[in-house]
Amino acid sequence: MKLNFKQTLQSTLDAVERSPRLFIWLSILASLLLLAGYALLASLITSMEILEFSIKIPWATLIATYIFLVASGSGLCIVNALGSVFGLHRYEMMTKRMAFLSLTTIIFGMLCIVLHLGHPERMPIYNALSPNFRSAISWMGALYTVYLVVVVVELWILTRADLTNLAKRSSESAKTILNLLTLEKLRGSRLDAMLEDPKILRLIGILAFVSGASALSMLGSVFAHSESRVLWYGPYYPIYFLVSAVFSGLAFLLAVTIITYRVKKEVILPKVKSLLFEMAQLLALVLTAGFVLTVYRLISGLFSPAGGGPVLLLLIGPFSMAFWVFEVGLMSFLPVLILIWSAKKEHLGGVLVSSLMVLIGTYVMRYEFVVAGQIYPNIKQGLPSYWPAIMEIYVVGGIFGAFLLVYTLGEKFLALKEKEPHPSS
Amino acid sequence: MAGVPIYTMLGSADLSIAGSQKYGKLVDTGRCIGCKRCMSACKRWNNLRVERDELISDKETDLSGNNFVVVNLRIDSSNRTSGTYIHWACQHCIQPACVGVCPVTAITKLPDGPVVINEKKCIGCRYCFQACPFKVPRFDFGKRVTRKCHMCYNRTPLLNYMKPACVAACPVGALAFDYKYEIIKEAKRRVEQRGGTSYLMGLAEAGGTDMLTILPTDPHKLGMVVSPQKVINHNLDKIRVTAAGIAGASVIAGGMYVYAEMTKEKEQDTDSDETEF
Repeated sequence: MKLNFKQTLQSTLDAVERSPRLFIWLSILASLLLLAGYALLASLITSMEILEFSIKIPWATLIATYIFLVASGSGLCIVNALGSVFGLHRYEMMTKRMAFLSLTTIIFGMLCIVLHLGHPERMPIYNALSPNFRSAISWMGALYTVYLVVVVVELWILTRADLTNLAKRSSESAKTILNLLTLEKLRGSRLDAMLEDPKILRLIGILAFVSGASALSMLGSVFAHSESRVLWYGPYYPIYFLVSAVFSGLAFLLAVTIITYRVKKEVILPKVKSLLFEMAQLLALVLTAGFVLTVYRLISGLFSPAGGGPVLLLLIGPFSMAFWVFEVGLMSFLPVLILIWSAKKEHLGGVLVSSLMVLIGTYVMRYEFVVAGQIYPNIKQGLPSYWPAIMEIYVVGGIFGAFLLVYTLGEKFLALKEKEPHPSS
Repeated sequence: MAGVPIYTMLGSADLSIAGSQKYGKLVDTGRCIGCKRCMSACKRWNNLRVERDELISDKETDLSGNNFVVVNLRIDSSNRTSGTYIHWACQHCIQPACVGVCPVTAITKLPDGPVVINEKKCIGCRYCFQACPFKVPRFDFGKRVTRKCHMCYNRTPLLNYMKPACVAACPVGALAFDYKYEIIKEAKRRVEQRGGTSYLMGLAEAGGTDMLTILPTDPHKLGMVVSPQKVINHNLDKIRVTAAGIAGASVIAGGMYVYAEMTKEKEQDTDSDETEF
């Protein structure tokens, strides 16, 4: 059956009409996007100031969301390397989903930065024309650009066969576009043979791992270089960013995969199921490592020559609830227990709940890290509230809405579902 | 980077610009009467908006995209009866942390002293604010760039023998502008003359600044943002922090390799079991 645009639109509308769940889902996403559009329009008409809860804390919700998304994406890149670089075939089953999630999270993370910058249009121009090699932001931008290009190529190679199949079922105009996308004219050439070679995919995997991990470590350095911010400064955060990215990436992958299968009411292959439980154990291990690092940070912070003030903000200050309830409880302690239990009992529901807990806890931890870090040394008397402004919440909601919409479309068109690994691989 | 000596890149003092061609600004808080004429003159010269009431004496004001200079009354925490008007602006560090972190090199330390933001290049990321030990550069929500005092580099003596707008407007000689070595000499003379608890801020803070402030007492006691007495964001320090990240990434890669090697066997066993069936 040939597909064309009108038919696709009609079938999508029919699907929406038939499925109340899909209708509700798309309505929620549309509302989130509308609210974000309203907040952005209001900020353009009035002032960018409405997107910040305090001018004394210039990096807040958008930067925390940026770190959350980008670190999760980089964490996915690191987990993906277990299959693409270190040769674990069982991880290769999920490569397509991991690469797609990694790409989209990083792109939407970058969108947060674009919305936060005063002049985002100048960034690519001057970052290319006059980069500052002493600036961590400059390095981070360059490394993430390389990483994005590499992941796009990786995803293109991985989905090329699916797009070719889609082209065969499409109408003339869509077919032409898809054929251009998959470089059909090259079929049978030496370049095509090279693209099909698994060694190329491995090389791309290595490039993605190296650029992704260094970009992530550089993201940690952006904060860790700020000597005048006591909470951020020092060699600890580049390392903690790597560890926390791995657990947030793993939690992201587990949550999204299990939810997708449950919503679509599809059966999970036994191999995939066993991989999900293995990842759950791995997540518990990395969360424990992260918690050990946090304890080290607290102890070293309390006895630092600069004074324990910034750490006390987390322990007994205005961020104590965010720290104890979300960072310690939801992000570290409870999920580790639930994950160990779920992996033992092979209970996917438990894995899903703990992954969601880790994601919520990680988001709050990022927010608390960014905001609390800016209190010393200039806001000695503290602020009345550290809650984000309503407009910030709208914009962040819209970013998550757009991400979920793109994921829904990717799930529909890119065949991200896990398949049995090919015997030859 | 071309033309920058290696010792400057690594964060050491550039001796070639330490000669008589450097300028400095002196703030003598002992003479300041808090009239805020410096604020007014700065606003006039730089075309900055005047907010309601902010030029009234004793009214607390904060630095912003429209306030390059502020004058605020500070009370000594050890002697609550004594207040001091403090003229506060960019300290023009000799080795500015903001210059080192700006991702697009929009901030420059001019050879004669001023630290200047190129507003046509600034992307508005506010990293300079995070890096600045004095928390000076502020975001202008109207122009969507970061702005701060530029020591009137566009009217300095080299160009047309004019002092910065604030210095020219001061009616009591609380502000002075001259060659850096002259300014240091004069500042030390005044501190010596006053004796007691007088403190000269700017000789050691952030590795030295081109704006010197004579304070009646220790800046901590006046509730000021105080920088450590060392170069902030030294390049060697940045290299140390970045190296920790690279080492961390290598350890993670090593751990993944070990994990892969340990579980590869299990994978092969499972595969061969399935083939037998």
